[in-house]
Amino acid sequence: MMVAAGLGLVLQRLPELWLRTGEHLYLAGTATAIAVVVGIPLGVICHRVRSVRGPLLGILSILQTIPSLAMLAFLLALLSRIGAMPAIVALTLYAFLPIVRNTFTGLGGVAPEVVEAARGVGMTPGQRLAMVELPLAVPVILAGIRTAAVISVGIATLSAFIGAGGLGEFVIRGLSMNNIPLVLLGAVPAAILALLVNFAIGAAEWGLRPTRQSEKGAWKPKLKPLALASPAMLIAFGVVTSLVELSPTAPRPGDGSATAGSIRIGSKEFTEQYILGELMAQMIEARTSLAVERTFGLGGTMICHRALEKGEIDLYPEYSGTGYQAVLKLKGSTDPNEVLRLVTEGYRKQYQVDWLGPFGFNNSYAITVRAEDAEENGWRRISDLASSASQLRAGFTSEFQEREDGYPGLQKAYGFRFAEARDLSPALMYEAAAKKQVDVICAFATDGRIAAYRLRPLLDDRKFFPPYHAAPVVRQETLRKHPEVREALAPLAGLLDDATMQRLNYEVDEKKRSPAEVASEFLKAKGLIGRREADTRTVKGSRSIRLGKIGRG
Amino acid sequence: MIRLTQVSKSYDMGLTFAVRGLSFEVPDGETLVLLGTSGCGKTTTLKMINRLIEPTSGRIEIDGKNVLEQDPIQLRRSVGYVFQGIGLFPHMTVRQNVEIVPRLLDWAIGRRRRRAMELLEVVGLDPATYADRYPDELSGGQQQRVGVARALATNPRYLLMDEPFGALDAVTRDALQQQLLALKKDLGKTIVFVTHDIFEALALADRIAVLHEGNLEQIGKKERLLAQPASRFVRELFAKPARQLTALKDLRT
Repeated sequence: MMVAAGLGLVLQRLPELWLRTGEHLYLAGTATAIAVVVGIPLGVICHRVRSVRGPLLGILSILQTIPSLAMLAFLLALLSRIGAMPAIVALTLYAFLPIVRNTFTGLGGVAPEVVEAARGVGMTPGQRLAMVELPLAVPVILAGIRTAAVISVGIATLSAFIGAGGLGEFVIRGLSMNNIPLVLLGAVPAAILALLVNFAIGAAEWGLRPTRQSEKGAWKPKLKPLALASPAMLIAFGVVTSLVELSPTAPRPGDGSATAGSIRIGSKEFTEQYILGELMAQMIEARTSLAVERTFGLGGTMICHRALEKGEIDLYPEYSGTGYQAVLKLKGSTDPNEVLRLVTEGYRKQYQVDWLGPFGFNNSYAITVRAEDAEENGWRRISDLASSASQLRAGFTSEFQEREDGYPGLQKAYGFRFAEARDLSPALMYEAAAKKQVDVICAFATDGRIAAYRLRPLLDDRKFFPPYHAAPVVRQETLRKHPEVREALAPLAGLLDDATMQRLNYEVDEKKRSPAEVASEFLKAKGLIGRREADTRTVKGSRSIRLGKIGRG
Repeated sequence: MIRLTQVSKSYDMGLTFAVRGLSFEVPDGETLVLLGTSGCGKTTTLKMINRLIEPTSGRIEIDGKNVLEQDPIQLRRSVGYVFQGIGLFPHMTVRQNVEIVPRLLDWAIGRRRRRAMELLEVVGLDPATYADRYPDELSGGQQQRVGVARALATNPRYLLMDEPFGALDAVTRDALQQQLLALKKDLGKTIVFVTHDIFEALALADRIAVLHEGNLEQIGKKERLLAQPASRFVRELFAKPARQLTALKDLRT
C-alpha cells in the first residue's frame, strides 16, 4: 500500500522531481566546481607559504562552524537578492575547507625523497608542483572534493528557503504543510543524490589511477575515461536542466521587474501563503495573457519583502500587522482600519508598493487551548487564564517567542506568564496541544487544525494582538506596466472570511491536497475561473511555471 | 674536473658543522668514493655539489666555474644524480622516469623515447618488458637500474651517486657494481660515489676520501689508505673488515 502510494506520488510529480534534481545538482555542482578551482590554488599556497597557512585554515574552519541557515540569511542580507546566487556563494564557502585542507595535507604527504628527487633532476618549483606533487596528492585532494560535494548536496536542501530551488523545495513545502510524503519526495532523492555524487567522484578517482601492467588488456581499464567524466556529467545534467527551465520566458534573476508578458509571484513558506499565492496566480493566468512564475516558499517576511523591493518578485500576500510592525517598524495601533491605512501609506511612500483590497479574513495570533479544558475551567477570554497560568505549559513558534507583538508583549498586556514556553514549529504546535504535550499555543486564527484537533481560540479581551488582514502587495511599477493585474485580483477582495480560509487550509494541511488543486476548486466553485480557462492556463503555464506543476498532473 | 675548496656546512649558524673545511679535487674520468659512517657529512658533501644543499662557506667548482654562481636548475639538469633509496617518481612509468630530464630540457618526443629505450638496454633492462611498468612493479635492483638510467639520460659528464645500492641484497649489489664498472669504462664518466660500505668503496673507487664527523681524514688511492692510514680512525676503519676477511680465510683452511 505505502509503496504503491509513494510510487504514485513520484510518478505524479516526475517532471517537477526531474527539474528539482537538476536544480539541486546545479547548485551543489557549481559551488563544488568553484571551490575546486579556487580551493586547490589556496591549498597550494598553504603548502608553500607557511605564514598564510594558519590564518587561512583558521578562517575557513570558522566559516564551517556557521550554521547553514544563518549563513544563508547573512548572504541574503549582504547580496540582497534571493535565488541561486546567494545559495551558491554559501555552498562554495562551506566547500572550501575540505578542499583547501586536503590539498595542503596531500601535498605535505608526498614522500620527502620523491620531492628531493624532483629537485635533484632539475625541476623548477612550478614543474615540481605540476609534475610530481599534485599528481601524487590527487587521491587525498579527491577525498576532499568528495567530502565537499557531499556536504554541498546536503546543505543545498536548505537553499530552497531563499528561493534557489532544488529538492529542498519539496522538503520545505512538505514540512510547512505537515505533509510527510512530500518531505520524503525531497529527502530521499537528496540522499540518493549524495550517494551518487560520492560514487561518481570515487569512480573519477579510480579513472585517474594509472593502469598497471597486470591490468592491461582487461575490460575494466577501458571504462576509465567514462569514470573520469562522471562527475562532469552530473554537473552538466544539472546545468542543462536548470537552463532549460530558465530559458523560455523566465527572466534572468535580478534584472529588475518582470519582462514583457510574465509576472512573478512570491509567498512565504506556510500553507496559507501557498494557497493565497495560487489563488492570485490562477486569477492572473485565467484573466490576463500574462505568464506566471511562482517563487513560493520563501523563508520569511524579510526575504519576501526584499525580493519585492528588488523586483525579484512582483507581488506576494502580506498581512497588515506584519507590514505595520515587522516591515515599517510602527507600533501603537491595533485598530484594523487604522493599521491598514498606515501600511498602505507607508508602503507607497517608502517602497513604491501598493496594498490591494484585503482578502477578508484576519489571521491574527490566537491564544488557543483544548476545547475540553476551556469548558471544564470556563475559559473564554485570555484574561481567564491568569489564575492558572503558572501551571500551564505553552508551545509557541520561535517567531512568537521573540516578537514584540508575541509572548513578550502578551506578558505585559495581560500581566501573567506561563510555567514554561517551549519553541515549537508551526506545523507541530496543534498536534502537540491535542496530545496534551502543551496546554496553550499561539495558533493562527485561520488554521484549519484548530477545528480539526478540537481546540478553542480565546478572545483577545485586551485587544493586544494587532490585526493580520492578508492582502496582495504589488510593485507599483508592475501595476503601471500591467494594469490588468489589479483588475484580475480585484474579485479576491473580501472573498475569504476566517471560516473559509480555515477550511482551505484544512484541505491542504490535513487532507494532503495540493494548494494549486484547492485554490482552483475554490475559484471554480465561486465561478471566478471557468473550466475552459483553467485548461488553457495549464498548457500556457507549463512552460514557465516553477511550482505550478504540483498536484495538477 | 670537480674542485672543492674549504667547503663548510653548518645547520645551526656555526655552532656545529656537518662538513668543515673540506677540500679535494676529482679529475676527469676518475671515480672518487666518499666513505664514512652515517652522519659523517658524505651525503651533505654530495648534495652541495649540485646545490641541493647550499654550503655555508667555501667554493665549489665544476670545470673551473663556481657552481654557486650558476642557475641551480640548469646545474642539476646537467649533472646526473642517483638518489639514496629509490627516488623514482611512483606515478610515472619506467620510461617516463628515464625521460624526465630530457623532457625538462624540451627534447622532441621521438628523440627522448629512443634515448630512454637505449638507456634501458645499457642498464640491462629489456625495454619491451619494462618500459611501461610502474616502479612498484619492479624489484629493488631493477628500480635502481632505472635510477642509474635516469641519471645517464642526457649523457652528463658528471655523475653523483648517493648510496645507490645501499638497500639491495648482497648478490644484486655485486651485480650492479660490476655493471657500473663496465659502464664507467665504456662511458668515461667522472663519478662521485657515496657509501658506508668499505668493500663497495674498494671495488669501485679510483681514489677514496674518508670522512669522519665532517672532517676529511684522508684522501688517496685505496692501496695507500690501506698501507699508510693517516689517522687512527682510518686504520680502524679498514682493520675490522681485514680481521673479518682473515677469520673467513681461517675458516676455509
